Amino acid sequence: MGMLGLAILIVFAAMAAFPAQIMWVFSTIGGWDYPYGPHDEVASYGTGTDPSSEHWLGTDSRGNDVLARVIYGARISLMIGTLAAAVSMALGSIVGLLSGFWGGWRDEVLMRVTDVFLVLPWLVLMIVFVAVLPGGPSVIKIVIVIGITGWAGTARIVRTQVLSVKKRAFVERAKSVGAGEFHIIRKHIFPNVFPLIFANAILTVALAILSESALSFLGMGAAATVDVTWGNMLEDALNAQAMYNGFYLWVIMPGLCIVFLVMGFTFIGYALDEIFNPRLRKR
Amino acid sequence: MRDFRRIILRRVISLFVTFLLVICINFLLFRMMPGDPLQFMVPSDPKIPDEYKKMLIERYHLDDSMSEQFIIYIKGIFTLDFGESFIHKVPAMDYLLEYIPWTLLLVGIASFFMIVIGMLIGIIAAWKRGGLFDSGSLAFSLFFYAMPTFWLAMIMVMTFAVAWDIFPPSRALDIGTQFEFTLASVGDLLHHLILPVTCLVLVYIATFSLVMRGSLSDVMTEDYITTARAKGLSEKAVLKDHAVPNAILPMLILIALTVAYIVGGAFMVEWVFEYPGVGWATIDAVYEEDWPVLQAAFFLIAVAVIIANFVSDIVMLYLDPRVELS
Repeated sequence: MGMLGLAILIVFAAMAAFPAQIMWVFSTIGGWDYPYGPHDEVASYGTGTDPSSEHWLGTDSRGNDVLARVIYGARISLMIGTLAAAVSMALGSIVGLLSGFWGGWRDEVLMRVTDVFLVLPWLVLMIVFVAVLPGGPSVIKIVIVIGITGWAGTARIVRTQVLSVKKRAFVERAKSVGAGEFHIIRKHIFPNVFPLIFANAILTVALAILSESALSFLGMGAAATVDVTWGNMLEDALNAQAMYNGFYLWVIMPGLCIVFLVMGFTFIGYALDEIFNPRLRKR
Repeated sequence: MRDFRRIILRRVISLFVTFLLVICINFLLFRMMPGDPLQFMVPSDPKIPDEYKKMLIERYHLDDSMSEQFIIYIKGIFTLDFGESFIHKVPAMDYLLEYIPWTLLLVGIASFFMIVIGMLIGIIAAWKRGGLFDSGSLAFSLFFYAMPTFWLAMIMVMTFAVAWDIFPPSRALDIGTQFEFTLASVGDLLHHLILPVTCLVLVYIATFSLVMRGSLSDVMTEDYITTARAKGLSEKAVLKDHAVPNAILPMLILIALTVAYIVGGAFMVEWVFEYPGVGWATIDAVYEEDWPVLQAAFFLIAVAVIIANFVSDIVMLYLDPRVELS
């Protein structure tokens, strides 16, 4: 399962890294005038056009080539997913480490805040953040929003692990020789919690990609004129009523990309979890 | 029993702390953000006369200090007063109240089916572990689990409302009709509900089927199952009377934890199907920059989810007092 996930990921990574080259290969095969970019106006504005030998997936309401946008979309979708996951993993790990290590009232305070973020519906929280944060839609803003709304689950998992590591003899020993708090956290606890954080990070990327697509779909993500994501392609499709006008591929392809990318990350996440989490192995 | 009361008291206290934090976040989010506070409380439309802006500033005490504003805000909470909707000119909470029954209907029906069907799939998969049904249902679950809810909704509209015109593509009732307690109206409502409900059920079913499968597989390795089998009970009796009841507890925890996610999914489904629920109203409020409505919606949803969590916590305690010990 992990291998399949890795294979899926490599395909999307290639799309993200070399979109222009991939389009060039397609254009040679298809005999197009030139390899289309995601913002090239190759058809007129309007509702879109049906697939043809020139435009395999048709064109969209912006007059852009759908295939080009699907391929270029991998880059921003992947980028936002990984960056946002990194932000929320960092936040969640710090809160979890400190909360578990400190214990007492500081733990209590941090956990109550975590609870709030855990019970609030993520989508509602993200929508409110997008609405109140200054500035228009941008990649940075959406990374921050997904990052600060998605850390609570990680904090919980890390804290539980820290609580069990903390009781181990080597931590006591470090304390008895006078090691400082942050030294113990950094040198003794963090390395023991890291595998768990890593496996969790992969699953968080999957969630972040889904979050990004949802926000972009609502028009609250990256601006479609600057950064193509599969989410804002689907927003365009909804606004142009592509479902009613019969532009099936324009609706199907971006979504299918999201599904496979998320599945790829989920597969790898579960495979890693099985490796790092020995308790699961015997099942 | 004394311990039990103490535990419940602790839960109630933590409920109030969470509740207070939500109230504070709701206040701070809308006022402490960088930029002009007016921007968030007064519509940015230049056509709005200055007098109206002045009136709003006075009404919401935007010139007062933050602490005074906070006191006014807290007073407002108790009377559920979040100010008047900029667009609809009615109190924000009243505006939302109209949408609540629709969301409860959608989320309620969908939750019922996703839990029941998810549990059944999980039970069969765990029972016939490693079999064709097990791997088939796993693949099915993971596929839908990875799916953006809104995309599935679009695909369903395309397939079942456009390509095959068998279900209506949007709204909760036929255009121009109001809900009445007549057979035709209820039938129309159900006809409209089928696609949104199916969509939510498909996306969230994996959460329940996977946990049920894992939990039941764990229980099946317990000694008392071996004992039950040794007594000569049939496989069916072992499953029904010994295994399943013990495997259901993790499901209850899961239901509480999933409420927040299902609400998020319901929002997207409501948006695509133009279903007149709280989710649709909330997203619409963002587009319209109708901040009082957004603030009221945030509060409403947060409180609903917190209470749902609290109730399930208490139910759990009654069903399994060991939970607190672990």
